[in-house]
Amino acid sequence: MHAAMTHLLEIQNLAFSWPGAEFPVFEHLDLTVREGAFILVRGASGTGKSTLLRLCCRLNRPQVGVILFRGRNIVETAPAVLRSMISYVAQIPQMTDMTVGENLLLPFSFAANRNKIAPSEEALEQMLAEFYLEGVSLGQSALKLSTGQKQRLAIMRAILQQPDLMLLDEPTSALDPESAAMVFSIMERLNTERKMTILGVTHSDYRPETVVALAYRLENRRLTLTDA
Amino acid sequence: MNQIIDISIPQLLLAFVFILIAQASSFIYHLGLNRDISVGALRTFAQLFLMGYVLTFILGTQSLLLTLAVFAVMVVSAMFIVRGRVKEKQVAYVLPTFLTMLVTYFATAVFVSGFIVGTTPWWEPRYFIPTLGMVIGNSMSAIAIALERMFRDMRVQRDVVEMKLALGANYREASDEVFRNAVTAGMIPSINAMMGVGLVFIPGMMSGQILSGTDPLVAIRYQIVVMFMLVGSTALTSIIVMLIVRKRCFGSGEEVLLTPR
Repeated sequence: MHAAMTHLLEIQNLAFSWPGAEFPVFEHLDLTVREGAFILVRGASGTGKSTLLRLCCRLNRPQVGVILFRGRNIVETAPAVLRSMISYVAQIPQMTDMTVGENLLLPFSFAANRNKIAPSEEALEQMLAEFYLEGVSLGQSALKLSTGQKQRLAIMRAILQQPDLMLLDEPTSALDPESAAMVFSIMERLNTERKMTILGVTHSDYRPETVVALAYRLENRRLTLTDA
Repeated sequence: MNQIIDISIPQLLLAFVFILIAQASSFIYHLGLNRDISVGALRTFAQLFLMGYVLTFILGTQSLLLTLAVFAVMVVSAMFIVRGRVKEKQVAYVLPTFLTMLVTYFATAVFVSGFIVGTTPWWEPRYFIPTLGMVIGNSMSAIAIALERMFRDMRVQRDVVEMKLALGANYREASDEVFRNAVTAGMIPSINAMMGVGLVFIPGMMSGQILSGTDPLVAIRYQIVVMFMLVGSTALTSIIVMLIVRKRCFGSGEEVLLTPR
């Protein structure tokens, strides 16, 4: 019973194919994510790393297999409610044509997040500094930020919802080395300081410096543990 | 004064001068429209004459069944035209669009013919069928524009819609902007028509009534009813169709089903 409670996410025998494709992207995939874990899935482009994360928050639908979140099949939870608990940050950060502050508070305008308390302006400004966005003001247009700044803002926006699990889809793939280092540092601090459970995918050789991570490799349609 | 001047066949053929002008323009400037202009002119000629004979027959029989049959043919034809313009394979939009058109057009025609004009019976073909014709003609274009716009924007803005979904939005919240832009795009021609009527153009129905000897003040009242009817029925049909079809753009997990082309 205790073991089951500490499993935040359990993926069992998962398989996914694109419509009309001859072979599945992956099959017989199992993965357990414990509360507070920092898990990295590596693999070459096209091996299905992003798809794996998207399946965990129902942005895609698997043909076979079950995903349990806190012991419950994710298809039994309303999609919006599930996604308010499992936050997915896409590879290419997306902002709406609004200010930085409005973009950060966007999740609180959705019904599934209405019971969550939106942070104050002061709290947002403090957080901007934590996310290496000191020069960015809440009133400026979010669309005018650099890709690196947008990515940090996207992670910050996801954090504000206080999710139980963060899914980070190649968060540094579009960034220069300096911006990528900032994002990696943020990811590690989220895990150590905020006890955030993180499941990230990357094709880089990034090795966390301050956290104990579990590393997997996704290749040949299978997921294997490479580094415990 | 109230006697309408008939147009003889030679006089009617004289109107083909305008088609010749269009054909010459296309030919001189290589617009590639000659075939379409010819087909369009022939279809206008054939379809309107056919409609004229059908209407003469139906007005003579005063049959409810025949009136409803004409209504069914008009809606089915409108659906085919919409389907021809909206080439979408991933979302099944045809059936809900057809059913919505059927119900809302019928309700609008009954309301205008039976309640506002107050004909007896409510399906009096002389009022019921032209009313339907105007409603369907306007609303059909609005639906086609709105559907095209929604499918296109849903693909173009897929990443933004998914970003909102990932942040806890339900499918309605995530696609709110796409939905509003699509309905607005469909409605704008009807609203513009209300702005310009009487100033920029004299609508066909009013012109027809005046030409046939009706008091212009009576024709104006009819035209006001028609303009309001067109905006209302276009809004109602577009919104119902968009609400149903938007839901179909998402799967059971509220995931976006439309993939890039």
